Amino acid sequence: MTPLPAGRLRRAVQAEWTKLRTVPSLPWLLAAAVGLTVLGSAGSLASVDTSQCPTPSECFEDTTKLSLSGVWLGQAAVVVLGVLAMGSEYGTGTIGPTLAATPSRRLVLLAKAVAVTAVALVAGVVGVLGSLAAGRAILPGNGFTSANGYEPLSLADGPTLRAAGGTVLYLVLVGLLSLGVATAVRGTAGAITGVLALLYAFPIVAQLVSDPRWQHRLERYGPMEAGLSVQHTMRLDELSIAPWPGLGVLATYAGFALVSGLTLFLLRDA
Amino acid sequence: MRRDGFGRLVLAEWTKLRTVPRWMTVLAGLVGVTALFALIDTSDQGGDVSEGESLQDADFTDDFHFVHQPLTGDGNIVARVVSQENSHEWAKAGLIVKERLEPGAPYAAVLVTPEHGVRMQWDFGEDVAGSENGEAPRWLRLTRSGDVVTGYESADGTDWQEVGEVDLEDLPSTVEVGLFVASPLAVEIERQYGNNSLSEIPTPGEAMFDNVRVALDRGSPAPGDGEWNDYDTSVEPDLGGSTESDGVFTVRGSGDIAENVRPFDDDLVERSLTGAGVGMLAVVALGALFITAEFKRGMIRTTFAACPGRGRVLAAKAIVLGGAAFSAGLAAAVASFLVSMRTLRTAERAPGTPELSLANPTVLRALVGTAVLFALVAVFSLAVATIVRHTAVAIPLVILPLLIPSIESGGLPLSVANWLVRLTPAAGLAVQQTITRYDTAIAPLVGLGVMAAYAAVALGVATLLLRRRDA
Amino acid sequence: MDATIEVRGVRKRYGRTTAVDDLSFTVRAGQVTGFVGPNGAGKSTTLRVILGLDAPDEGTALVGGRPYRTLRTPLLHVGALLDANAVHPGRRARDHLLWMAQSNGLPSGRIDEVLELVGLTSAARRRAGGLSLGMLQRLGIAGAVLGDAPMLLFDEPVNGLDPDGIRWIRGFLRSMAAEGRAVLVSSHLMSELEDTADHLVVIGRGRLIADTSVRDLVASASKDQIQVRTPGRSEAMTLLANAGATVTAGDRETLTVSGLPAERVVALLGERGLPVLEVTQHRASLEEAYMELTRDALEYEAVALEES
Repeated sequence: MTPLPAGRLRRAVQAEWTKLRTVPSLPWLLAAAVGLTVLGSAGSLASVDTSQCPTPSECFEDTTKLSLSGVWLGQAAVVVLGVLAMGSEYGTGTIGPTLAATPSRRLVLLAKAVAVTAVALVAGVVGVLGSLAAGRAILPGNGFTSANGYEPLSLADGPTLRAAGGTVLYLVLVGLLSLGVATAVRGTAGAITGVLALLYAFPIVAQLVSDPRWQHRLERYGPMEAGLSVQHTMRLDELSIAPWPGLGVLATYAGFALVSGLTLFLLRDA
Repeated sequence: MRRDGFGRLVLAEWTKLRTVPRWMTVLAGLVGVTALFALIDTSDQGGDVSEGESLQDADFTDDFHFVHQPLTGDGNIVARVVSQENSHEWAKAGLIVKERLEPGAPYAAVLVTPEHGVRMQWDFGEDVAGSENGEAPRWLRLTRSGDVVTGYESADGTDWQEVGEVDLEDLPSTVEVGLFVASPLAVEIERQYGNNSLSEIPTPGEAMFDNVRVALDRGSPAPGDGEWNDYDTSVEPDLGGSTESDGVFTVRGSGDIAENVRPFDDDLVERSLTGAGVGMLAVVALGALFITAEFKRGMIRTTFAACPGRGRVLAAKAIVLGGAAFSAGLAAAVASFLVSMRTLRTAERAPGTPELSLANPTVLRALVGTAVLFALVAVFSLAVATIVRHTAVAIPLVILPLLIPSIESGGLPLSVANWLVRLTPAAGLAVQQTITRYDTAIAPLVGLGVMAAYAAVALGVATLLLRRRDA
Repeated sequence: MDATIEVRGVRKRYGRTTAVDDLSFTVRAGQVTGFVGPNGAGKSTTLRVILGLDAPDEGTALVGGRPYRTLRTPLLHVGALLDANAVHPGRRARDHLLWMAQSNGLPSGRIDEVLELVGLTSAARRRAGGLSLGMLQRLGIAGAVLGDAPMLLFDEPVNGLDPDGIRWIRGFLRSMAAEGRAVLVSSHLMSELEDTADHLVVIGRGRLIADTSVRDLVASASKDQIQVRTPGRSEAMTLLANAGATVTAGDRETLTVSGLPAERVVALLGERGLPVLEVTQHRASLEEAYMELTRDALEYEAVALEES
């Protein structure tokens, strides 16, 4: 019996995509990623208005960043997604059938990464668009009007486009980071706790360090802070780390997690 | 199940917990990890105690404007506060007896405030409330009799109610009495460039007095010449002053006569416990796993077959888990504190802040409170995991409300951030606070109570669902 | 590819326990090879090593002359069922087979074929969490035959099947072998392999105990044993025991005698005047043979209950 002619990667990705989409939790996770992002953005937007500033035109508010801020909440759903992509195989024991069907572990991890990237991309694009729409709707009502020097948010604006695209990339990287950690740790609970701690607790711990030099370093190299640097559209020269290098930092974390995960995956028994 | 069966159930659950090596390792490990975090905190000597505050600050402030004259022997002073500017909810306008014109000198005062009624205050922190709706216009009277000063208030100048009585001890014969106005510094938050900047700004206190009379008791030595003088220690000179015309005094002053509250100080104890807050996350995972591990392979049916009382099973789990988390949390908190002690002791602290040692009840409350918080978080996690049945969902549901309000993200305004803290399980972290700061959202034990409420409600719902659903 | 599974000198340790110790055997095409041993003997470990899930500390396992992990479309060469519970409970049965088919480029029509083969067509759209043990087992078998592979591995396939199912699976395994495939079936119950297996690989405590055909194994276990039927049983027992034989009583008037050739037994009884109603060569059941073989290798021996 001959198999249908198709590349190995394509087959593996197809299988992984089927696995991801045939699990009841996927639509919920997608909805949570998008919903939390938009909700978080709307919340931030609603609570800031020009009356809190010395004068409305002296706010110098980065409305794009404010509008995209909800991703810091929505990323939790993407973490769960990325972890489950590998973690649930260990939890249910399907890692056996998976490796029996595709013995090349490199291929398995790569295919999972592709599937997670695709889902995170969708969640990211929808979430970002929703957040920007919320920004367009809420900002003028809070005093951020063109009269005060705030143009309505628009993707035609270069920096805004970069911030939006970068935010989508951010989510993808968070998903891949989670996949890597789950592969290394071979479980769901530990991986989710670990990644959430890395993302959210890093800044808390960074505040502990009283030496301002070290604190600055930690701010530059924390995965969430560095990654979200891409959302800034103003005063870029005053940031702890520039937008794209910031994403690069997050990508390094994700890469490290994936490489460690792959190494352990290759060396250990299933 | 017989009543003593519950004890056996608890023992069974404890055995379940302690015989999973991984879980015990996590509990032990988190103690080490939090101590490690505390080490980071102390790894440099650049520990900065407070931002830009002069370390010669005493533990009181004595800034106000005083329109005064000397009083020798026993007597009293009466005045009506006609109006008071609402420059601050705790702006003060009233009568004061001060031992001498020097910062820190003993005093007793009766006063009105815009939003806290009539008060009698003394000794830079003692405070007694008069009538709640007492605001200007209001009559006030202070009588001095030997060492005892008594404050009165009245709506009409005829019917007087006592507000408070103070024994000032060794009061000299001649003291200064008169009108005073003060208005505390306000913490102003301004948003710019997406950041909230905080500053303490002076507020301009102002009040008008009339019907001012100083009277002596019979038999007292002759009074002074009855001339009023100004004494001003307002925080900004041009915010203090007085004018008088036709017996109506308009007095302006800025500052406060109270204990020195520094809202931007670092809460050193709370900082030393930050690592424990992170270690708490491991407890979240454990709490969830303790129940979902049973759901996974249908082990829960074995458990329920052994004990059909599902509520009891959950209660036993909660007790065992809570106890283990409490112990781990206490060890972690004490370890963190002790590790930080080295730097805490040598750090320059403004005088007046409490001595940082295990003997200090405030410190003890923070440490034990952290342990209790660990237990509550663990039980909360257990309950949530029982409700949603999946670790992947339960863990973020518990961790997010715990962590998120602690981070200033999205640059939320302070008021919003504080409400987030008050309403979410993050309130529990307040138990670690030992000083009051500008961003103190909720009192320590109240915060712990909020967390306890979350845990209790979740446990209740979980028990209900556990009984109703199929295993 | 030549459909042979070869295990050569495999040793595997988990921590301080040696699960498999210098194990070597071959599974050939055209027959059902039973892989038997007491619980904990190392059967599952060996299967996992064959499938490349666990790496052996020493030795190799080859399928069709190659290590499993080098195969690009392994399901077309080796079909396996290790654990029927290894399915995601939230996933539909059909989708579980779908991703497997896709991973190896198998057409989706094949899924319906195998579902019909195992009798799960009506349950295809149900979630795996709602399937009974027997149905999960059949789903696992469907997955194993999805690729129409010439080599098949089954770990305890009879678990959870009802008598009909057991009968079906026996026939199924035999027909697979008859088609020229190499079939390896592991079990700890000898009785279920009795009429199914042609060849046996017996292991105990990780070591090979026997690698032989079923017929030879039974024969060697039966070798010395004679069954005698005689009315004067107790007398006969004493007589034969005194002559050096090991005698056990069977039911009614039967005795099982070992240690003496049949002629001697008849002669002794005849001398005494005890009538011999029947003499037969005792054919050990596979179970008995197996018990005797593995008696020393029992990892976990249950204690016989005291008979009151």
